[in-house]
Amino acid sequence: MPFTDRSDLFGAVHEEGINRVVRHVMRQRPSLFNYATPFFRRRPDLLCTPIQADQRVIDAGNPLFTVQDPLPILGASVKIGLNFCVQLTDFQIDFHPGNTIALPPQLGALPPQRLALRFRACVGIDCPSDDVIAEHIREMELAAVRQGDLFAPAPRPRTRRMAAQSVRPVLANVTRLASPVTLATPIRRRFPLDDIAIDLDDLVLDPGSNEPRTLPTRSLICVCLEVFATAHFEWGTIGNDGKQYLKPRLDGIEIVDLQPTPMEDAIECFIKTTLRLGILPRLVVPMETMILDITSMLSDNNVTIEEKVSLRPAPITPQLPFNPAIEGDQLKAFINLVIEEA
Amino acid sequence: MAHMTVAARETVVQRAMKVLTDNFVFEKSDDQDHGALTTGYTVKCHLEGGTIDFRADNTVEIKELDLKWDTLEVRLGLDIPAVCVGGGCLGPFCLPRTCIFDGDPDVSIAPDFAALVAQEVSIIGRVIPRYFDVDNPPALNALCQLVRNQLVANGTIEPFDRDEWQLFLDPETIDLDLFDFPDIIGDLIEDSLTELVEDLIPGGVVRDLILAIIGGVGDVIRAVLDIGDDFDEWLSDIFNISFGLGDFILTALADFLGHCIPVFRLPDPFEIMPATPQGLIPVAVPIRNVVARVDATELVVQADIGA
Repeated sequence: MPFTDRSDLFGAVHEEGINRVVRHVMRQRPSLFNYATPFFRRRPDLLCTPIQADQRVIDAGNPLFTVQDPLPILGASVKIGLNFCVQLTDFQIDFHPGNTIALPPQLGALPPQRLALRFRACVGIDCPSDDVIAEHIREMELAAVRQGDLFAPAPRPRTRRMAAQSVRPVLANVTRLASPVTLATPIRRRFPLDDIAIDLDDLVLDPGSNEPRTLPTRSLICVCLEVFATAHFEWGTIGNDGKQYLKPRLDGIEIVDLQPTPMEDAIECFIKTTLRLGILPRLVVPMETMILDITSMLSDNNVTIEEKVSLRPAPITPQLPFNPAIEGDQLKAFINLVIEEA
Repeated sequence: MAHMTVAARETVVQRAMKVLTDNFVFEKSDDQDHGALTTGYTVKCHLEGGTIDFRADNTVEIKELDLKWDTLEVRLGLDIPAVCVGGGCLGPFCLPRTCIFDGDPDVSIAPDFAALVAQEVSIIGRVIPRYFDVDNPPALNALCQLVRNQLVANGTIEPFDRDEWQLFLDPETIDLDLFDFPDIIGDLIEDSLTELVEDLIPGGVVRDLILAIIGGVGDVIRAVLDIGDDFDEWLSDIFNISFGLGDFILTALADFLGHCIPVFRLPDPFEIMPATPQGLIPVAVPIRNVVARVDATELVVQADIGA
């Protein structure tokens, strides 16, 4: 049977092709799949999963992850946070009929015209050791007292000065890095009395930027979850230019073996929202990209056409019940070439 | 199963070709000064007619595609050194001075061959993908290299400076009317007779009647001359164009289509995400195993994504 028996143009991509494309994207644009605090620029070895980037990414100095603010320590009198990372790995897509991804029972069997998606989401959060906490307790207390940020009534000014003088011996030998600096040329200055002391490791070096402070990080506690999802594609326009885009739409999501259930629901909701509003809107594909942009091809060759040439999805008919169609391990698009008087 | 499949129905390719032929216009002009010699040209041409058919034997046939010239003007100018006589004075008597060849240029011609030249081509060819390795490019003959350089220089095609897959329409047979003399001669005769009649008959119904008759005569002349093999022989005898020249041009055209200028080019690796203003490199995927085939209904191109 011809590919074009139901439309002028036909385009299809096999799930293995998609999976290879995804692997290339992960290696060449790792910052789409890895999110972390600036600290990991100099300690990428502490990430939950090593980032395997293309050598060209390294050579170009491209970021391996998208920088995020630290996880704030709630209630602290000073803006300080914990380093963390979120990494998405091992993406795999399985077009109907599902034969490479075993969906969890919660999602059931993969319905017709749907695709299954599996990936691994690793979340790593710094858990400061007790000695690090102990080192910083006094500093936090000092900041709370100094700022009058106590639950109890604020001490009078004289009392505050005395309290400050009492910690001067403690801070005598504490220094901090001036900003901006590099590791190779550390600049140290005496830590002022009315500031808080922070360890060298607290400072993430990023010359030219004002990076938030974090507690020293020695290692992360990593939790990796297997995430399964089902989705489909549909045609639609974006804006007013009338161009058609192939849009991925999320149907369901499931995290395996996560308890208690409300926590699982909450995390699933977060991931679902992230995918729907953060990732999938960036994965829309213009129809011209899938087949060919005839107008651009003519324009590139200095041919100005008087007719209006456009590509449109072939209409749904009994002979073409689904467009786009997900079947036979492929995503298929059926497209018509429309030529109209301008 | 191939990772990617793209197919185009024969009818849509036919419609796309009609859009192309209806709208394609090539126009270019240039002048150069070589000192005593100036040269220049103005060309403008368009496409007419032509049909395209997909054949069950994995070939594509393009039939009777006409390249019509609206302007094919060649300018030549010769600047001859000036020659002067006379001038000077003897006492109170001064001789007049006369110069010839003191213009620039002194002699110039600008014949327009548009009415004399037209090309019609019919081709049966096979769509063949080939890989172009920029570090180890295939050997090209001098003419192809010259044409490529010209097309790249004037921006008609992209430079061949990257690895890519190229789709060629590799001709199996070419039928090319180098100069569509029957039409040209008919046009000339018709124009000449029309001019004579217009001079002889200033106006009125009789003139219109005669013009209509002459137009019919022109058609008769074209029909008589357009007689296949006999035309080739007649053309060679009358206009002294040898078959050797024709063979040369046919060979050049076959090489041009089959190995020189691809009808479609796909960069390898193929960029799927562009570079960003923030400096992120483009994301590109390697393309492997490109194959193309044609049957009576559609053209199919398939490829794999490299690991």
